[in-house]
Amino acid sequence: MPKIRVLVDEDLCIGAASCVTIAPETFQLNEENKAWVLDHGTEPEGSKYERWIEVTDDEKENIILAAQSCPTLAVFIFEEDGTQIFPEM
Amino acid sequence: MRYLIIGGGVAGTTAAGELRRLDSSAEITIVCDEHHPLYSRVLLPLYLNGKVERERIFLKKESWYADQEIEWLRGDVAVRLNVKNKFVELLSGREIEYDKLLLTTGSEVRVIDADMRGVSYFRTLDDADHMSQLFLEQGEDAHGGIYGGGFIACEYLNLFGHFNIPIVLAHRGEHFWNGTLESSSGELMAKHLTEQGVELYSNADFKDLVGDKELTGFTTNAGDHKATLLGVGIGVGPDLSWLKDSGVETGAGIKADEYLETNVPGIFTAGDVAEFYHPILGRQLKLGNWMNSMSQGRAVAKNMVGDKAPFDLVSSYAMNVLGLDLIFVGDVEKAHSDQIHVIGSVEDGGITQVHERDGKVVGGVCLNRNTDRPTITTGIKEKASASDIVNTLSG
Repeated sequence: MPKIRVLVDEDLCIGAASCVTIAPETFQLNEENKAWVLDHGTEPEGSKYERWIEVTDDEKENIILAAQSCPTLAVFIFEEDGTQIFPEM
Repeated sequence: MRYLIIGGGVAGTTAAGELRRLDSSAEITIVCDEHHPLYSRVLLPLYLNGKVERERIFLKKESWYADQEIEWLRGDVAVRLNVKNKFVELLSGREIEYDKLLLTTGSEVRVIDADMRGVSYFRTLDDADHMSQLFLEQGEDAHGGIYGGGFIACEYLNLFGHFNIPIVLAHRGEHFWNGTLESSSGELMAKHLTEQGVELYSNADFKDLVGDKELTGFTTNAGDHKATLLGVGIGVGPDLSWLKDSGVETGAGIKADEYLETNVPGIFTAGDVAEFYHPILGRQLKLGNWMNSMSQGRAVAKNMVGDKAPFDLVSSYAMNVLGLDLIFVGDVEKAHSDQIHVIGSVEDGGITQVHERDGKVVGGVCLNRNTDRPTITTGIKEKASASDIVNTLSG
């Protein structure tokens, strides 16, 4: 399964919750109204704005869709080799 | 199949991309009054306060339209719709025929009757560029005036706050969002802004601008206010005049069913302009937020190609104004609520409103109570009883 790095820029996140709506297994709003990154609904090693997750191709596509829906482009996604998939450079 | 989309904002452009994905051979045309490729309006404040570069606010490159074989007619506006012969006439005189039509014309800002260098509105990228220039022109004695009591006023509060410009804000009515907030919520908002150093005037109707060539102030029936900048945020409304007599039913927006289809078969609507029937909320309403517009763009494209599904997203709007977190979820119009339950208080520094209709929770407002949001959102989706939600949140 592909491994990706998902990162939420907390300075850009405004709590619009689009990502949470599209990919609730990967994003969840915290008390500051910003999105934590989850690993399939769980938080190994505690709450984080960034983590590596193993995903199926469908899950990966959905996470990209969630990132695309963010109005402040606060969600960044990287391939295993470090290439930034979204936002497109 | 010829798809014609009137309006190139997030709803229309998302729909165009989705239509291309679903139908590789379709002819797709977008008519857009702005000249820029799709950009995020939500990022405009972050461009102005320097958090993101101007080029980073664009969500599509100029080349995207050609790459997707989407005809992109910039700087043009629809002026007439003929539903019988299925064509739209543009301001340029061009007539475009369609098989299916999508209306995503959004909203226009309401304006005051006066204008002068220093006055700005905040809707488009051109507005933001104009404001960027105004900020550059400000001298040592900059004073920020704001007229309005809604989300745009909040954006101005954050911007002036960011630049350490003293702020005077005047709005009509008792408090912010008179159609949504209960008086205690309004009081909390006012208290917070006053504590942040904002000079605040309620029940203040705009009278006139003051200044010779450049702005030095403005007057309301609450008095004279010093201002070298005036940000006006008195609401938005759709321009529906071109649809008059077209046969497409309009009200506060373009009327549509839960499939985002208007009363005229083959003509759809989405985004800020859509007054659509929400199957969970149980009434026709307009929802002017990013999440709603983008999701409707995606959903309406599917409905247009015949893969029909009702649109029932419970969307929300959130922002932080000078340190206060605000969240509006679902249907928060006081006029359409049977009852509004208030949890928390001004003294607590946090208030949540739970809006009830027919015994169910249909909306919520959270002021500095972010953690109430998921309970309310889920409650609306599941048509939970309002009293259950109130009990959960009060516990």
